[in-house]
Amino acid sequence: MKIIYSHLKTWLPDLAIDAKKLRDDLTLIGHFSSGYEEIDSEIILDLEIRQNRADCLGYYGIARDLAVFYKINLVLPQINTINYSNTPVPITISSPDVHRIQATSISNIKNSLPPDWLIRFLKLHDINSINTLVDLTNFIMLEWGIPCHAFDTNKSTKLIWENNQRYSEFISLDGTKIKLQPQNLVISDGKEVLSLSFIGGQNSGINLDTTDSILEMAVYNRSRVRNDSRSLKTITEASIRLDKELDTETIPLAFSHLISLILKHCHAIVSGKLLDVYPVKIPPLPIAFDSQKPSLYAGIDIPQNDTLKRLGCTIKNNLITPPSLRKDLTIEEDLIEEILRFYGYNKIPTDQPVDPTPLPDITPPILYLIEKLKDDLVALGYDEVRSWPLVRHCEEPCDAAISTQNSINSDYPYLRQSIIQSLQNQYFQYEKYKLINQKFYEIGKIFSLENGQYIEKYALGMYNSDSEELSRDARSCVSTDKIKLDGSFAQIILDDLPKPDKYIPQIINNTAIELTSQIITLDANVSYDSPQDSTKLIEKYTSLIDPSILWSIEIADIYQNRYTFRVSYYNCDALTAKKVHLNTFNLN
Amino acid sequence: MDNLSKIQSESKTKIKTATTSAELEKVHIELLGRHGLLHKLFSDIKNQPDPKAYGQQLNRLKNEIEELINKKSLSVETHDRASPQKNNKTVFSLPKLGHLHPITITERQLNELFRKLGFSLYDGPEIETDEYCFQRLNVPIDHPSREMQDSIYIHEPEHLLRTQTSSIEARLLTQEKPPFKAAFPGRTYRNEKVTKSNHFIFHQYQGVAVDKNITLKDAIGTFNTLFKGLYGNDVHARYRCKYYPEVEPGMGFDLECFSCHGAGCSICKGAGWIEMGGAGIIHPKVLTMAGIDPKIWRGFAFALGLDRWVMAKFNIKDIRTLLGGNLAYKPNEP
Repeated sequence: MKIIYSHLKTWLPDLAIDAKKLRDDLTLIGHFSSGYEEIDSEIILDLEIRQNRADCLGYYGIARDLAVFYKINLVLPQINTINYSNTPVPITISSPDVHRIQATSISNIKNSLPPDWLIRFLKLHDINSINTLVDLTNFIMLEWGIPCHAFDTNKSTKLIWENNQRYSEFISLDGTKIKLQPQNLVISDGKEVLSLSFIGGQNSGINLDTTDSILEMAVYNRSRVRNDSRSLKTITEASIRLDKELDTETIPLAFSHLISLILKHCHAIVSGKLLDVYPVKIPPLPIAFDSQKPSLYAGIDIPQNDTLKRLGCTIKNNLITPPSLRKDLTIEEDLIEEILRFYGYNKIPTDQPVDPTPLPDITPPILYLIEKLKDDLVALGYDEVRSWPLVRHCEEPCDAAISTQNSINSDYPYLRQSIIQSLQNQYFQYEKYKLINQKFYEIGKIFSLENGQYIEKYALGMYNSDSEELSRDARSCVSTDKIKLDGSFAQIILDDLPKPDKYIPQIINNTAIELTSQIITLDANVSYDSPQDSTKLIEKYTSLIDPSILWSIEIADIYQNRYTFRVSYYNCDALTAKKVHLNTFNLN
Repeated sequence: MDNLSKIQSESKTKIKTATTSAELEKVHIELLGRHGLLHKLFSDIKNQPDPKAYGQQLNRLKNEIEELINKKSLSVETHDRASPQKNNKTVFSLPKLGHLHPITITERQLNELFRKLGFSLYDGPEIETDEYCFQRLNVPIDHPSREMQDSIYIHEPEHLLRTQTSSIEARLLTQEKPPFKAAFPGRTYRNEKVTKSNHFIFHQYQGVAVDKNITLKDAIGTFNTLFKGLYGNDVHARYRCKYYPEVEPGMGFDLECFSCHGAGCSICKGAGWIEMGGAGIIHPKVLTMAGIDPKIWRGFAFALGLDRWVMAKFNIKDIRTLLGGNLAYKPNEP
């Protein structure tokens, strides 16, 4: 949800702090501000509104929170009294998914291109301007967080809210054909679908020639909207709001505001009665609240304060009834959070961790075994790798393989049945980078389907080009004869092995390199007058080469007093490697 | 299509009977080379009665042959290396050191810090049920917060790859009797495209402490101890309200940006802070569903995302490196 700092001040005229402080304060009270930018001389804050705070998907809800936090007044927009006529609005509600709707008819509309302030306001919220009437409905949605809609009554004379039984298609405002499904909540004229609950349609759209309209604002069963939006793969600003728990009690205020603005900017008249269909009113339930609890939960003394009152709660002894707007407040802990967030989490001491007295150890012993094996393998010179547990192909028996149903990365549909599959991929990758003579291992899960059950087991996989050494190393780490050897690879299932009662692993700090180009390996022959100390030679040449490109250096051959050095370079191109190599060994 | 089955069978035999890399290379050229069998078949697609279906069959065959040759190359390579004339072992090199993966290193540091605070470790399955991944964490079906996590299903809607390590928390709460303290590093999955900055597999570090008088102060003090242990006494952390369905009150925590030290930069998007994770007091419904009486027991739960943390620490620019073949270690350096 984007908010314009200057516009927020129309709701909070006494807001006297700068926008950066406001951003930080909003974050502290639960509205994480992920963006701060200046566009067209306006400061825009981008707030992450969490799923429980549908009321904050409009300026109204955010301003209410800030009024409590800063202890300043909330000023509602000027809303004129609307004089409705007695002519009924031709609307039929036959869907139980309509929780509340207000609607009326307006006539003599002089629709026009929108005023600059409105175009600019919507643009700063990433909404395209259409015409004054449509833009005002979007403006109201941003103000109050509740979507509303206008229908051209010259195109459709009656409106029916129903769950789809007979329509197959709907054409949205931008001309997209949407295939409908049974039970979708639709607004029809009895012949065709004019609109969905969260997106307007082409066949009732408002344009500059529109003179008569039905305006409506509704709150629906959020699950219905969510299902429709997801199943029809259509997400709109309206669906983002309507698929959450919106406040039916806010509708009268917001709808009146909409009508006021349309009368003012489109010079229209109200020609219909106010339709207010509100089948089941569910008032907020009182919550038993112990005023000592905020201190008990925080771990510090939280002074009594008037936060709940300022939030609009009704307080009767120890019973707190939240305002209708705050659908997220249903249990005592919700109220505790309200008090603590306005008190400030940042006032809770940071130097008193949980009591460190150990409780009975519930660590599964296999985790100790895994840590021990990692240390043993590192000591034997093996590098640890981690790879994708999803692989391209299943292994035999293929019907024991588990596959994913909906992964975006559908080239890798199978959960690996053997860790060797993953290690082979790793080997090919290393080969691509010309990284040879590696010894590496991975410990991770392998998966199979057995008798209709999903089975996961921990497996150790090892690679060593020297298969004899591999076999020896594997046997030195685990006491089992169930080592599966496959050429240069080995796999051992860990679940059935004996496990240590306890193992505290070493803290090892090693570096790791992100390879971006191939390793370049070059040889150099250097002759000496007498036998040399190999270690000193390696040290000497290592010190001569820039460590940021030196991968490794070794002596590949010694013949009489001629030494063949094999040097591997990385992070550089072949030309650079060759140049460095020639210089280092005086081969020019 | 019968012709393709025959080619498939003959190719498998040829690959199987190759015993040296030279022989395998010969088979490779014969089948996949520029003038090889597959190339000829591909150029004949347009003459087939159903070119599209034939092309798809052919592609599958090509992939299968490539994979078989790749696999076979591993065993012939072993065979080659065992031959004395090709043994190119070095005469002298510094000792080859083994290395731990950066994620393991980071997990161990965290494990050690939590161990000192009396925590055990815990574990759970990667294929989870909807019940443990969502419902027992106070996220019923149709709850809007499910949109925060796009799931990869094994069998929709019941079985999925866990989207969060909170599922381990749900199992722990059900399986153990309080009081307990446990941390659980783990791999999680979400249905997202893999790019340089985004992965569908990522790593979380989660934990819970359940006892009689657990408070937010305990949680905040624990995280601060943790951050100081990792980054030193000068580290600045920020604790703020944040909604998560499984906790109430909920909390998010950030560290002052390592790069700009709070001034605001491109890394922290001008905020001066980097989001590290979330926490809170375990929701009474979550405890009740696990059979733990919330009137007696209270607990805090927390979760940290490890990947970006590890990337920053090890100077890794591409998130794909963490689970792929281009992460390597210098053989003679720790």
